[in-house]
Amino acid sequence: MLGFMDYVQKAFLEASNWNQDNSYSTLTATAQALLDFETPRGLRLNVSSLASPKFASSYTIGTVGLVDGSLSYLYSSLPLEARFKSSEIDLHHVIQGYRQLQDLRQPDQSWWWEVWHKGKRVDRRDALLYGRLFLPQSTLEALYLRRLSPSRQLKVSAVSDARLPNGGTILTLLQNDFGKYSTEYLYSTDSALLGVRGLYNFGPDPRTATSQDVQAEPVYGRFSAGAELYYGLLNKSGGMSTGIRFTTLPQHTGFPYTMTLTLNPLMGNLSSTYAVKAGQNLALCSRFDFNFYSYESDLQLGCELWRRRGPDAEVEWASKMLRPDWERPAVRPDGDVAGVLKARVDQNWRAGVLWEGRIRELLFTLGTSFDLKRRDHIFRAVGVELQYST
Amino acid sequence: MAFNFNWSPLIADTSRARDMLTTALNKSPKPPIIVDDILVTELNLGSVPPELEILEIGDLAEDRFRGIFKMSYTGDAFLTLKTRVQANPLNTYLSTKPSFASPQPLAASSGLTIPLQITLSDIRLSGFVILVFSRQKGLTLVFRNDPLESLKVSSTFDSIPFVRDYLQKEIEGQLRVLFMEDLPAILHRLSLRLWSPDYRELDNSNGLQEGNKDGTIPIDPLSSPPQNPVDGFGNPITDSETSAFFLDDPTQTHASFSQKNLVRLAALAESHRTLSLFTPGIREAVFRAWAGTTESREHSGTATPALTLSSLSRAHSSLGLSTLPSTYSASDSAETGPSSSSRPPLSSFSSAIGHGLTLGANRSRAHAQRKRKRRVVNLRKDRNEDDISDTASTTTGASTPAPSVIVSEPLPEREEDLVTPPRSPAKNVRFSARRPSGEYAADSPARSPRARPASADYPAQENTKLSLPPQKHLSPDAKPVHDAAPSNIGRSRPPLRLHHPTPSTSAIPLLRTLSAEKLPFTAHSQQGDLFSPSASSSSGGILEQAWMMKMANEIARKVQDEKRRQSSDSAGLWEMPPPAYSSV
Repeated sequence: MLGFMDYVQKAFLEASNWNQDNSYSTLTATAQALLDFETPRGLRLNVSSLASPKFASSYTIGTVGLVDGSLSYLYSSLPLEARFKSSEIDLHHVIQGYRQLQDLRQPDQSWWWEVWHKGKRVDRRDALLYGRLFLPQSTLEALYLRRLSPSRQLKVSAVSDARLPNGGTILTLLQNDFGKYSTEYLYSTDSALLGVRGLYNFGPDPRTATSQDVQAEPVYGRFSAGAELYYGLLNKSGGMSTGIRFTTLPQHTGFPYTMTLTLNPLMGNLSSTYAVKAGQNLALCSRFDFNFYSYESDLQLGCELWRRRGPDAEVEWASKMLRPDWERPAVRPDGDVAGVLKARVDQNWRAGVLWEGRIRELLFTLGTSFDLKRRDHIFRAVGVELQYST
Repeated sequence: MAFNFNWSPLIADTSRARDMLTTALNKSPKPPIIVDDILVTELNLGSVPPELEILEIGDLAEDRFRGIFKMSYTGDAFLTLKTRVQANPLNTYLSTKPSFASPQPLAASSGLTIPLQITLSDIRLSGFVILVFSRQKGLTLVFRNDPLESLKVSSTFDSIPFVRDYLQKEIEGQLRVLFMEDLPAILHRLSLRLWSPDYRELDNSNGLQEGNKDGTIPIDPLSSPPQNPVDGFGNPITDSETSAFFLDDPTQTHASFSQKNLVRLAALAESHRTLSLFTPGIREAVFRAWAGTTESREHSGTATPALTLSSLSRAHSSLGLSTLPSTYSASDSAETGPSSSSRPPLSSFSSAIGHGLTLGANRSRAHAQRKRKRRVVNLRKDRNEDDISDTASTTTGASTPAPSVIVSEPLPEREEDLVTPPRSPAKNVRFSARRPSGEYAADSPARSPRARPASADYPAQENTKLSLPPQKHLSPDAKPVHDAAPSNIGRSRPPLRLHHPTPSTSAIPLLRTLSAEKLPFTAHSQQGDLFSPSASSSSGGILEQAWMMKMANEIARKVQDEKRRQSSDSAGLWEMPPPAYSSV
């Protein structure tokens, strides 16, 4: 489940019309959500609030043997209108599962953003500032996000920690999203790492497509290919990978599915994932890794199961009386979702189970990871996270 | 004195050493590049033994030993490890970084684990080893400095410079931790299992076979008997003689007791039991009950500066023994010694000296009650020992009445050491804190049955008298041995001379130098007891012979010093700190 601050940042991206999915770094987001979810450790409480549409604060206290916590504050120049109360949050927004890609959207024209007042441009670029201080480790995380133009975004994230070499690290990420393709350039002060990422979407170009084309020939799937390249100037080492993805779009009539294949030619690593949304409540995913240098392989299986809330017994008799063609107002914003159960297991019988949902006003995450091979020490981590936000 | 350091049995079986190394290497958190357990597959200690230079013997008895060695190793030992490493540099780079500011690559950081075989060879070690052994507290071995000088790491990744450098750096770091922390802990545990009765009860099954286990540790010359013992000149030593070297062999502990000392001990015990007024004088022994008070006081004075020393404090923590400080305090004071002794102003001396001065204030009472004598064995290995040792051996050989003295076993004295004698005073400072548990009871009635007769410390005095050149007899009543020493001390440390305005009257024994000066109450009154002709036992065992040799060499050295002093006033040399400790 996304933390409150992550959710606010996501809301900022949505409010500023930034498509997070059109990036090479999120090529395997579906598989990561279904297979690489983190299970909480210990007890963690999170109290957050969006005091104003532009300012949010969040406080976390947790205990894993010893008590630690964090304070975080966020400022957004763009007023955020989404629902942030924990009793009103749509669970689909904070729980990452199978990610259904939407149609590519033509990027805004830059003149759309221009606001003129008395012959002068008065519009400002949207920006987001975020800071988080971990105690007692005294680690500081800071984030600066700025929409430079409708197709460009700058993201500077920094971590300050005395235990890190040079006292911290800064990552600068410049993202361009032109719809048809997207590029990212990054620089990390740690060992002066330079990186380039790019993603290209095959198919019609959203910038030139007209509404008639879409009507005439609906596109059922999208094929994307991308690559990334890194080079550390100081340690003179690098890395690269390429990847392709095919995913179905909402127009697809069958069940949605996503296939990816990534290849790291330097290290000989080949990874393929296949995720399918088998029904409204169920998504399955598998990943197979193979290294053709060391002949090591790995297989991971995962699933997510959404639990729908059953009909309310008190009003069930009344709903039965409704005519089928009558409009039924949804009681909650996320429909009748009560929670989601995620599970994963790999070939070494290491498994993880996560149950996320809402109890009254609280969002909770209950998870454990265990090792089925070690009978004496099966449970490796058990944890509960509770979130409350107003 | 000679230590027979037997290297050959150590090479024979290294399986236990391999297991211990495997455990030690996997104990500490491994660097992220190593993704599997480190397995020691091959360990060969090589045929070249390490060179051990005895810097100091602080305490020598049947059941305990304390000494400082200088170890240097340039042998052909090698070690082969097997593990699996992460070959993707991006993976190891990102694994140590916070995820918030991580580039979070999609697949560029995917891992490639490769089995790796590492061979460590060309190991160069050089360091100071402090070895403290007592039967109750086990063996404590501490490296005073980081002994690892250089090391060649050859692996399957030699062609990739990044990985090679990384491996070299990481393995060196791991080995340093091993030498400084793990090895003392392992040794102490093993020695406790061997010698301590409590541990032996706990671990009865292991028994004495673990004695050979200790052989894996390169600097444990006392744990196993040598196969073909020879002395410094290659002459074979008989079993009865070698038994004196082994502090851990309970079956042969009596071999080094002289018959005379045994008789004295028996008489002492008898007198203790029967309240007899007659108690035999056992020279150079002191009641432990008496010595205990001063010992504790001096410990309180000297133990505090030692806590700042990283190596020892680390050893404290790693071993986790609350009983250790008593054994450490000797080396603790050794740490403070050289730095303070090398400084000319008296005010800058550490608390040990101040303590000594305060003791000197009430010396009249002090030396009535406690007789203390510091004995320091200075053994230096010399590379060009021929000329000096020849002179020493010839003089002693000509004048020694005891034929049992092995003159062919010289006490090494380096030529350079004659130029830099502050070393020996520095050493005496070190053990000033420990020594009070005293070696001799002098003429005071020795009632403690615990007084050790084993180390009859100054049997060589009679010999040394004879061996001195005649021009040394400056004053007819002073012992010729002694007039060299005060002059030496007075010259090397002018401020301290204030406490000894008349060097001739305070016939300081030869070996007492700075520490004796610092505790002057011990200096005066004991001379008569020490060198009284009535206390003459020159037969003794190996220890006594070693002491004789020690004395002979000391005399030779003093003679050389005297000559040198007369020839040139090179006082500046004395102010220089000893090079080995200049970094302290």
